[in-house]
Amino acid sequence: MANKEIELNIKVNNKDYKLFVASNKRLLDVLRDDLGLTGVKEGCAIGECGACTVIMNGKNVCSCMILAGQAEGSEIITIEGLEGPKGELHPLQEAFIETGAVQCGFCTPGMILSSLVLLKNNPSPTEEEIKEAISGNFCRCTGYKQIIEAVQLAAEKMRRGGI
Amino acid sequence: MHNFNFIRPDNLEEACDLLVRYKDRAKLIAGGTDLIVDLREEKLANCLEIIIDISNLEELNHIKEEGKYIRIGSGVRHAEIAKNKLIKKYAQVLSMAASVVGSPQIRNRGTIVGNIVTASPAADTIPALIVLDSILVIRKGKEKRKMFLKDVFEGPNKVNLKSDEIVCEIYFEKLSLDAKSYFIKLARRNAVDKSRMNIAVVAQQNKSKEITDIRISVGSLTPIPGRFKDAEDLLLGEIPTQDLIQKAGKKIAEEMINKSGYRWSTEYKEPVVKSLIDRVLNRIVEVE
Repeated sequence: MANKEIELNIKVNNKDYKLFVASNKRLLDVLRDDLGLTGVKEGCAIGECGACTVIMNGKNVCSCMILAGQAEGSEIITIEGLEGPKGELHPLQEAFIETGAVQCGFCTPGMILSSLVLLKNNPSPTEEEIKEAISGNFCRCTGYKQIIEAVQLAAEKMRRGGI
Repeated sequence: MHNFNFIRPDNLEEACDLLVRYKDRAKLIAGGTDLIVDLREEKLANCLEIIIDISNLEELNHIKEEGKYIRIGSGVRHAEIAKNKLIKKYAQVLSMAASVVGSPQIRNRGTIVGNIVTASPAADTIPALIVLDSILVIRKGKEKRKMFLKDVFEGPNKVNLKSDEIVCEIYFEKLSLDAKSYFIKLARRNAVDKSRMNIAVVAQQNKSKEITDIRISVGSLTPIPGRFKDAEDLLLGEIPTQDLIQKAGKKIAEEMINKSGYRWSTEYKEPVVKSLIDRVLNRIVEVE
Protein backbone atom coordinates (compact mmCIF):
# COMPACT_ATOMS: atom_id res chain seq x y z
CA MET A 1 0.00 0.00 0.00
CA ALA A 2 1.34 3.41 -0.85
CA ASN A 3 2.10 5.61 2.04
CA LYS A 4 -0.37 8.39 2.48
CA GLU A 5 0.61 11.96 3.08
CA ILE A 6 -1.01 13.99 5.80
CA GLU A 7 -1.31 17.70 6.27
CA LEU A 8 0.39 18.91 9.42
CA ASN A 9 -0.05 22.32 10.99
CA ILE A 10 2.40 22.97 13.79
CA LYS A 11 4.09 25.86 15.50
CA VAL A 12 7.79 25.22 15.97
CA ASN A 13 9.99 27.69 17.83
CA ASN A 14 7.24 30.30 17.51
CA LYS A 15 6.86 29.94 13.76
CA ASP A 16 3.76 28.45 12.11
CA TYR A 17 4.22 25.71 9.52
CA LYS A 18 1.87 23.91 7.16
CA LEU A 19 3.59 20.75 5.98
CA PHE A 20 2.70 17.68 3.96
CA VAL A 21 4.49 14.65 5.34
CA ALA A 22 4.32 10.86 5.10
CA SER A 23 1.85 9.51 7.65
CA ASN A 24 4.41 7.13 9.14
CA LYS A 25 6.93 9.82 9.99
CA ARG A 26 7.59 10.56 13.61
CA LEU A 27 7.70 14.09 15.01
CA LEU A 28 11.47 13.53 15.28
CA ASP A 29 11.74 12.92 11.51
CA VAL A 30 9.64 15.98 10.68
CA LEU A 31 11.77 18.24 12.87
CA ARG A 32 15.08 16.94 11.56
CA ASP A 33 14.34 16.15 7.91
CA ASP A 34 11.58 18.57 6.95
CA LEU A 35 12.56 21.54 9.13
CA GLY A 36 16.32 20.94 9.38
CA LEU A 37 16.32 21.21 13.16
CA THR A 38 19.19 18.82 13.75
CA GLY A 39 19.58 19.87 17.37
CA VAL A 40 16.93 17.20 17.95
CA LYS A 41 18.96 13.99 18.20
CA GLU A 42 17.97 10.43 17.50
CA GLY A 43 19.48 8.07 20.06
CA CYS A 44 17.75 4.85 21.03
CA ALA A 45 14.50 5.50 19.10
CA ILE A 46 12.56 3.56 21.75
CA GLY A 47 11.86 6.32 24.24
CA GLU A 48 14.58 5.51 26.73
CA CYS A 49 17.53 7.86 26.17
CA GLY A 50 15.82 11.25 25.88
CA ALA A 51 18.19 12.59 23.17
CA CYS A 52 15.15 13.42 21.01
CA THR A 53 13.44 15.42 23.78
CA VAL A 54 11.45 18.46 22.67
CA ILE A 55 8.92 20.59 24.52
CA MET A 56 5.40 19.98 23.23
CA ASN A 57 2.64 22.20 24.64
CA GLY A 58 4.81 22.93 27.68
CA LYS A 59 5.79 19.34 28.43
CA ASN A 60 9.01 17.50 27.69
CA VAL A 61 8.37 14.50 25.46
CA CYS A 62 10.38 12.09 23.33
CA SER A 63 9.83 13.13 19.72
CA CYS A 64 10.64 9.55 18.62
CA MET A 65 7.47 8.38 20.42
CA ILE A 66 5.02 10.67 18.63
CA LEU A 67 3.65 10.17 15.13
CA ALA A 68 3.75 13.33 13.04
CA GLY A 69 -0.05 13.51 12.86
CA GLN A 70 -0.32 13.42 16.63
CA ALA A 71 1.48 16.75 16.78
CA GLU A 72 -1.25 18.50 14.74
CA GLY A 73 -2.02 21.91 16.23
CA SER A 74 0.69 21.69 18.86
CA GLU A 75 3.44 24.09 19.88
CA ILE A 76 6.92 22.66 19.80
CA ILE A 77 10.14 24.10 21.17
CA THR A 78 13.49 22.60 20.18
CA ILE A 79 16.96 23.64 21.32
CA GLU A 80 17.12 26.00 18.33
CA GLY A 81 14.17 27.92 19.80
CA LEU A 82 16.11 28.98 22.89
CA GLU A 83 18.21 31.50 20.98
CA GLY A 84 17.51 35.13 21.94
CA PRO A 85 16.47 37.81 19.40
CA LYS A 86 20.08 38.87 18.83
CA GLY A 87 21.41 35.34 18.69
CA GLU A 88 22.36 35.31 22.37
CA LEU A 89 22.46 32.07 24.32
CA HIS A 90 19.81 31.12 26.85
CA PRO A 91 20.96 31.19 30.51
CA LEU A 92 20.76 27.38 30.54
CA GLN A 93 23.07 27.18 27.53
CA GLU A 94 25.48 29.65 29.13
CA ALA A 95 25.45 27.68 32.37
CA PHE A 96 26.13 24.38 30.58
CA ILE A 97 29.21 25.95 28.96
CA GLU A 98 30.42 27.66 32.13
CA THR A 99 30.24 24.53 34.28
CA GLY A 100 31.72 22.19 31.66
CA ALA A 101 28.46 20.23 31.41
CA VAL A 102 28.90 19.52 27.70
CA GLN A 103 31.14 16.59 26.83
CA CYS A 104 30.28 14.88 23.54
CA GLY A 105 27.17 17.07 23.39
CA PHE A 106 24.72 14.48 22.10
CA CYS A 107 22.50 14.54 25.19
CA THR A 108 22.83 18.30 25.72
CA PRO A 109 19.79 19.58 23.75
CA GLY A 110 17.49 17.11 25.52
CA MET A 111 19.07 17.80 28.91
CA ILE A 112 18.59 21.53 28.47
CA LEU A 113 14.97 21.20 27.34
CA SER A 114 14.04 18.91 30.26
CA SER A 115 15.78 21.38 32.58
CA LEU A 116 13.89 24.28 31.03
CA VAL A 117 10.53 22.61 31.74
CA LEU A 118 11.67 22.09 35.32
CA LEU A 119 12.80 25.69 35.83
CA LYS A 120 9.62 27.11 34.32
CA ASN A 121 7.55 25.18 36.88
CA ASN A 122 10.02 25.34 39.75
CA PRO A 123 12.51 28.25 39.71
CA SER A 124 14.45 26.99 42.78
CA PRO A 125 14.69 23.20 42.48
CA THR A 126 16.57 21.02 44.95
CA GLU A 127 19.29 18.68 43.73
CA GLU A 128 16.84 15.76 44.01
CA GLU A 129 14.25 17.60 41.94
CA ILE A 130 16.87 18.29 39.25
CA LYS A 131 17.87 14.61 39.20
CA GLU A 132 14.22 13.58 38.86
CA ALA A 133 13.60 16.13 36.08
CA ILE A 134 16.52 14.86 33.96
CA SER A 135 16.00 11.18 34.82
CA GLY A 136 14.69 10.53 31.30
CA ASN A 137 17.82 11.98 29.68
CA PHE A 138 20.90 9.77 29.51
CA CYS A 139 24.41 11.19 29.38
CA ARG A 140 26.62 8.31 28.30
CA CYS A 141 29.73 10.44 28.95
CA THR A 142 28.27 10.26 32.51
CA GLY A 143 28.95 13.90 33.27
CA TYR A 144 25.88 14.20 35.47
CA LYS A 145 27.55 16.16 38.27
CA GLN A 146 28.39 19.10 36.00
CA ILE A 147 24.94 18.95 34.41
CA ILE A 148 23.28 19.27 37.83
CA GLU A 149 25.62 22.18 38.65
CA ALA A 150 24.69 23.79 35.34
CA VAL A 151 20.97 23.59 36.13
CA GLN A 152 21.59 25.10 39.58
CA LEU A 153 23.62 27.92 38.03
CA ALA A 154 20.99 28.52 35.35
CA ALA A 155 18.26 28.64 38.00
CA GLU A 156 20.21 31.38 39.73
CA LYS A 157 20.76 33.31 36.49
CA MET A 158 17.11 33.01 35.53
CA ARG A 159 15.88 34.14 38.96
CA ARG A 160 18.17 37.16 38.72
CA GLY A 161 17.29 37.87 35.11
CA GLY A 162 13.57 37.27 35.58
CA ILE A 163 13.38 34.98 32.56
CA MET B 1 8.28 1.16 9.34
CA HIS B 2 4.80 -0.08 8.49
CA ASN B 3 2.84 1.99 5.99
CA PHE B 4 -0.58 3.18 7.05
CA ASN B 5 -3.19 5.87 6.78
CA PHE B 6 -3.40 8.15 9.78
CA ILE B 7 -6.76 9.40 10.99
CA ARG B 8 -7.52 11.65 13.91
CA PRO B 9 -11.24 11.46 14.69
CA ASP B 10 -12.93 14.48 16.27
CA ASN B 11 -14.85 12.51 18.86
CA LEU B 12 -15.21 9.12 20.50
CA GLU B 13 -18.20 8.12 18.40
CA GLU B 14 -16.24 8.59 15.20
CA ALA B 15 -13.34 6.58 16.64
CA CYS B 16 -15.73 3.75 17.58
CA ASP B 17 -17.29 3.73 14.10
CA LEU B 18 -13.87 3.58 12.44
CA LEU B 19 -12.85 0.64 14.63
CA VAL B 20 -16.05 -1.26 13.83
CA ARG B 21 -15.43 -0.63 10.13
CA TYR B 22 -11.74 -1.55 9.99
CA LYS B 23 -11.49 -4.10 12.88
CA ASP B 24 -8.06 -5.80 12.82
CA ARG B 25 -6.95 -3.61 9.91
CA ALA B 26 -6.88 -0.71 12.39
CA LYS B 27 -4.80 0.09 15.45
CA LEU B 28 -5.55 2.71 18.05
CA ILE B 29 -2.79 5.03 19.14
CA ALA B 30 -2.88 7.09 22.33
CA GLY B 31 0.45 7.63 24.12
CA GLY B 32 2.18 5.56 21.45
CA THR B 33 5.11 4.66 23.70
CA ASP B 34 4.76 0.96 22.87
CA LEU B 35 2.97 1.09 19.51
CA ILE B 36 5.57 3.25 17.73
CA VAL B 37 8.31 0.77 18.65
CA ASP B 38 6.21 -2.05 17.17
CA LEU B 39 5.44 0.00 14.05
CA ARG B 40 9.13 0.64 13.44
CA GLU B 41 10.05 -2.98 14.02
CA GLU B 42 7.19 -3.99 11.69
CA LYS B 43 5.80 -6.29 14.34
CA LEU B 44 2.15 -5.59 13.59
CA ALA B 45 -0.07 -7.62 11.32
CA ASN B 46 0.47 -7.16 7.59
CA CYS B 47 -3.17 -6.24 7.16
CA LEU B 48 -2.62 -2.97 9.08
CA GLU B 49 -4.19 -0.16 7.06
CA ILE B 50 -5.02 2.59 9.43
CA ILE B 51 -3.84 4.16 12.67
CA ILE B 52 -6.58 5.91 14.63
CA ASP B 53 -5.25 8.61 16.91
CA ILE B 54 -7.31 9.00 20.08
CA SER B 55 -4.67 10.97 22.00
CA ASN B 56 -6.54 14.26 21.78
CA LEU B 57 -10.09 13.09 22.56
CA GLU B 58 -11.55 15.19 25.37
CA GLU B 59 -14.08 12.42 26.18
CA LEU B 60 -11.21 10.17 27.30
CA ASN B 61 -9.42 12.76 29.37
CA HIS B 62 -11.27 13.10 32.69
CA ILE B 63 -10.54 12.27 36.31
CA LYS B 64 -13.71 12.68 38.35
CA GLU B 65 -15.36 11.76 41.62
CA GLU B 66 -18.84 10.31 41.18
CA GLY B 67 -20.54 9.09 44.35
CA LYS B 68 -18.36 6.37 45.81
CA TYR B 69 -16.29 6.01 42.63
CA ILE B 70 -13.30 7.65 40.97
CA ARG B 71 -13.63 7.51 37.18
CA ILE B 72 -10.63 7.98 34.90
CA GLY B 73 -10.77 8.44 31.13
CA SER B 74 -8.66 5.90 29.26
CA GLY B 75 -6.51 8.60 27.68
CA VAL B 76 -5.34 10.20 30.93
CA ARG B 77 -1.55 10.28 31.03
CA HIS B 78 0.59 8.93 33.85
CA ALA B 79 1.90 12.39 34.77
CA GLU B 80 -1.70 13.59 35.33
CA ILE B 81 -2.57 10.53 37.44
CA ALA B 82 0.57 10.99 39.55
CA LYS B 83 -0.20 14.57 40.50
CA ASN B 84 -4.01 14.44 40.70
CA LYS B 85 -5.36 15.41 44.14
CA LEU B 86 -8.41 13.08 44.07
CA ILE B 87 -6.21 10.10 43.29
CA LYS B 88 -3.69 11.07 45.97
CA LYS B 89 -6.51 11.30 48.49
CA TYR B 90 -8.55 8.22 47.60
CA ALA B 91 -6.10 5.90 45.84
CA GLN B 92 -2.57 6.74 46.94
CA VAL B 93 -1.31 3.39 45.67
CA LEU B 94 -2.18 4.40 42.09
CA SER B 95 -0.61 7.82 42.44
CA MET B 96 2.61 6.19 43.66
CA ALA B 97 2.64 3.63 40.86
CA ALA B 98 1.98 6.20 38.12
CA SER B 99 4.79 8.40 39.42
CA VAL B 100 7.46 5.74 38.79
CA VAL B 101 6.44 4.63 35.28
CA GLY B 102 9.30 5.07 32.79
CA SER B 103 10.66 8.61 32.82
CA PRO B 104 9.14 12.12 32.89
CA GLN B 105 8.95 12.05 29.08
CA ILE B 106 7.16 8.68 29.07
CA ARG B 107 4.78 9.78 31.84
CA ASN B 108 3.93 12.87 29.78
CA ARG B 109 2.71 10.64 26.93
CA GLY B 110 1.86 7.14 28.16
CA THR B 111 -1.76 6.61 29.21
CA ILE B 112 -3.40 4.63 31.97
CA VAL B 113 -5.28 2.27 29.68
CA GLY B 114 -2.36 2.02 27.25
CA ASN B 115 -0.46 0.38 30.07
CA ILE B 116 -3.32 -2.08 30.55
CA VAL B 117 -3.94 -3.13 26.94
CA THR B 118 -0.26 -3.79 26.28
CA ALA B 119 -0.45 -6.05 29.37
CA SER B 120 3.21 -6.20 30.27
CA PRO B 121 3.68 -8.46 33.32
CA ALA B 122 6.06 -5.77 34.64
CA ALA B 123 3.62 -2.85 34.22
CA ASP B 124 3.66 -0.61 37.30
CA THR B 125 0.10 0.67 37.33
CA ILE B 126 -1.58 -2.73 36.85
CA PRO B 127 -1.02 -4.12 40.40
CA ALA B 128 -2.21 -0.77 41.81
CA LEU B 129 -5.38 -0.85 39.70
CA ILE B 130 -5.89 -4.53 40.62
CA VAL B 131 -5.89 -3.83 44.38
CA LEU B 132 -8.41 -1.07 43.71
CA ASP B 133 -10.65 -3.75 42.11
CA SER B 134 -10.92 -1.57 39.01
CA ILE B 135 -13.56 -1.99 36.35
CA LEU B 136 -13.14 -1.20 32.64
CA VAL B 137 -15.82 0.40 30.50
CA ILE B 138 -15.53 -0.95 26.96
CA ARG B 139 -17.30 0.32 23.84
CA LYS B 140 -17.99 -1.33 20.53
CA GLY B 141 -19.81 1.06 18.24
CA LYS B 142 -22.64 2.32 20.45
CA GLU B 143 -22.72 -0.75 22.72
CA LYS B 144 -21.11 -0.57 26.13
CA ARG B 145 -19.95 -3.34 28.43
CA LYS B 146 -18.09 -3.53 31.72
CA MET B 147 -15.42 -5.93 32.81
CA PHE B 148 -13.30 -6.34 35.93
CA LEU B 149 -9.72 -5.37 35.13
CA LYS B 150 -8.48 -8.71 36.49
CA ASP B 151 -10.53 -10.56 33.86
CA VAL B 152 -9.08 -8.71 30.87
CA PHE B 153 -5.68 -10.42 30.99
CA GLU B 154 -5.18 -13.65 29.05
CA GLY B 155 -1.43 -13.99 29.39
CA PRO B 156 1.76 -11.96 29.12
CA ASN B 157 1.08 -9.09 26.66
CA LYS B 158 -2.36 -10.54 25.83
CA VAL B 159 -5.79 -9.17 26.62
CA ASN B 160 -9.20 -10.53 25.68
CA LEU B 161 -10.50 -7.48 23.87
CA LYS B 162 -11.83 -7.64 20.32
CA SER B 163 -10.24 -5.58 17.57
CA ASP B 164 -13.37 -3.43 17.27
CA GLU B 165 -13.53 -2.63 20.98
CA ILE B 166 -12.18 0.44 22.71
CA VAL B 167 -11.67 0.87 26.45
CA CYS B 168 -12.99 4.31 27.24
CA GLU B 169 -12.88 4.46 31.02
CA ILE B 170 -11.59 2.76 34.15
CA TYR B 171 -13.21 3.23 37.55
CA PHE B 172 -12.92 1.99 41.10
CA GLU B 173 -14.39 2.59 44.55
CA LYS B 174 -12.64 5.29 46.55
CA LEU B 175 -10.60 3.85 49.38
CA SER B 176 -11.86 4.68 52.86
CA LEU B 177 -9.87 7.55 54.36
CA ASP B 178 -8.94 5.12 57.17
CA ALA B 179 -7.40 2.68 54.70
CA LYS B 180 -3.73 2.82 53.86
CA SER B 181 -2.20 1.89 50.55
CA TYR B 182 1.34 1.64 49.26
CA PHE B 183 3.38 0.76 46.18
CA ILE B 184 7.02 -0.26 45.82
CA LYS B 185 8.89 -0.70 42.55
CA LEU B 186 12.03 -2.78 42.56
CA ALA B 187 14.34 -2.19 39.60
CA ARG B 188 18.04 -2.10 38.86
CA ARG B 189 18.04 1.67 38.57
CA ASN B 190 15.63 4.35 39.73
CA ALA B 191 14.48 5.73 36.38
CA VAL B 192 13.69 4.34 32.93
CA ASP B 193 13.76 0.73 33.99
CA LYS B 194 11.35 -2.13 33.92
CA SER B 195 10.30 -3.39 37.30
CA ARG B 196 12.03 -6.55 38.45
CA MET B 197 9.09 -6.80 40.74
CA ASN B 198 6.52 -4.41 42.13
CA ILE B 199 3.97 -4.64 44.88
CA ALA B 200 0.70 -2.85 45.60
CA VAL B 201 -1.15 -3.23 48.89
CA VAL B 202 -4.31 -1.81 50.43
CA ALA B 203 -4.85 -2.40 54.15
CA GLN B 204 -7.28 -1.24 56.78
CA GLN B 205 -7.46 -2.01 60.51
CA ASN B 206 -10.18 -1.42 63.08
CA LYS B 207 -9.66 0.07 66.54
CA SER B 208 -8.54 -3.27 67.98
CA LYS B 209 -5.97 -3.48 65.15
CA GLU B 210 -7.74 -6.36 63.40
CA ILE B 211 -7.26 -6.23 59.66
CA THR B 212 -10.66 -5.50 58.10
CA ASP B 213 -9.53 -5.08 54.49
CA ILE B 214 -6.41 -6.41 52.81
CA ARG B 215 -5.61 -6.56 49.10
CA ILE B 216 -2.25 -7.60 47.71
CA SER B 217 -1.01 -7.72 44.13
CA VAL B 218 2.56 -8.33 43.04
CA GLY B 219 3.74 -7.62 39.50
CA SER B 220 6.22 -9.75 37.50
CA LEU B 221 5.48 -12.89 39.55
CA THR B 222 2.68 -14.53 37.63
CA PRO B 223 1.73 -14.72 33.93
CA ILE B 224 -1.61 -13.03 34.66
CA PRO B 225 -1.87 -10.22 37.22
CA GLY B 226 -4.19 -10.73 40.14
CA ARG B 227 -4.63 -10.59 43.90
CA PHE B 228 -2.93 -13.07 46.20
CA LYS B 229 -6.01 -14.45 47.94
CA ASP B 230 -4.30 -17.09 50.12
CA ALA B 231 -2.07 -14.49 51.73
CA GLU B 232 -5.01 -12.07 52.05
CA ASP B 233 -7.16 -14.75 53.76
CA LEU B 234 -4.36 -15.45 56.20
CA LEU B 235 -4.20 -11.80 57.25
CA LEU B 236 -7.90 -10.88 57.15
CA GLY B 237 -9.53 -10.57 60.59
CA GLU B 238 -6.21 -11.02 62.38
CA ILE B 239 -4.14 -8.67 64.48
CA PRO B 240 -0.89 -8.66 62.54
CA THR B 241 2.32 -9.90 64.14
CA GLN B 242 5.78 -10.17 62.57
CA ASP B 243 5.27 -13.93 62.52
CA LEU B 244 2.00 -13.58 60.58
CA ILE B 245 3.63 -11.22 58.07
CA GLN B 246 6.37 -13.81 57.47
CA LYS B 247 3.70 -16.46 56.88
CA ALA B 248 1.89 -14.18 54.41
CA GLY B 249 5.15 -13.72 52.48
CA LYS B 250 5.58 -17.49 52.38
CA LYS B 251 2.03 -17.93 51.03
CA ILE B 252 2.71 -15.46 48.20
CA ALA B 253 5.92 -17.26 47.27
CA GLU B 254 4.02 -20.58 47.23
CA GLU B 255 1.28 -19.12 45.05
CA MET B 256 3.91 -17.73 42.65
CA ILE B 257 5.47 -21.19 42.26
CA ASN B 258 2.06 -22.80 41.82
CA LYS B 259 1.12 -20.41 39.03
CA SER B 260 4.45 -19.86 37.28
CA GLY B 261 6.29 -23.10 38.04
CA TYR B 262 9.80 -23.25 39.50
CA ARG B 263 11.72 -21.04 37.06
CA TRP B 264 15.34 -19.88 36.76
CA SER B 265 14.37 -16.65 38.52
CA THR B 266 12.52 -18.30 41.41
CA GLU B 267 15.60 -18.51 43.60
CA TYR B 268 15.82 -14.71 43.40
CA LYS B 269 12.13 -13.90 43.47
CA GLU B 270 11.17 -16.08 46.45
CA PRO B 271 13.22 -14.25 49.14
CA VAL B 272 12.65 -10.89 47.47
CA VAL B 273 8.86 -11.10 47.45
CA LYS B 274 8.93 -12.15 51.13
CA SER B 275 11.06 -9.15 51.92
CA LEU B 276 8.85 -6.76 49.91
CA ILE B 277 5.65 -7.85 51.64
CA ASP B 278 7.42 -7.49 54.98
CA ARG B 279 8.54 -3.97 54.05
CA VAL B 280 5.12 -2.81 52.81
CA LEU B 281 3.07 -4.26 55.64
CA ASN B 282 5.40 -2.91 58.30
CA ARG B 283 4.98 0.49 56.72
CA ILE B 284 1.19 0.60 56.50
CA VAL B 285 -0.20 -1.63 59.27
CA GLU B 286 0.18 -1.43 63.02
CA VAL B 287 1.92 -4.62 64.07
CA GLU B 288 1.42 -6.15 67.50
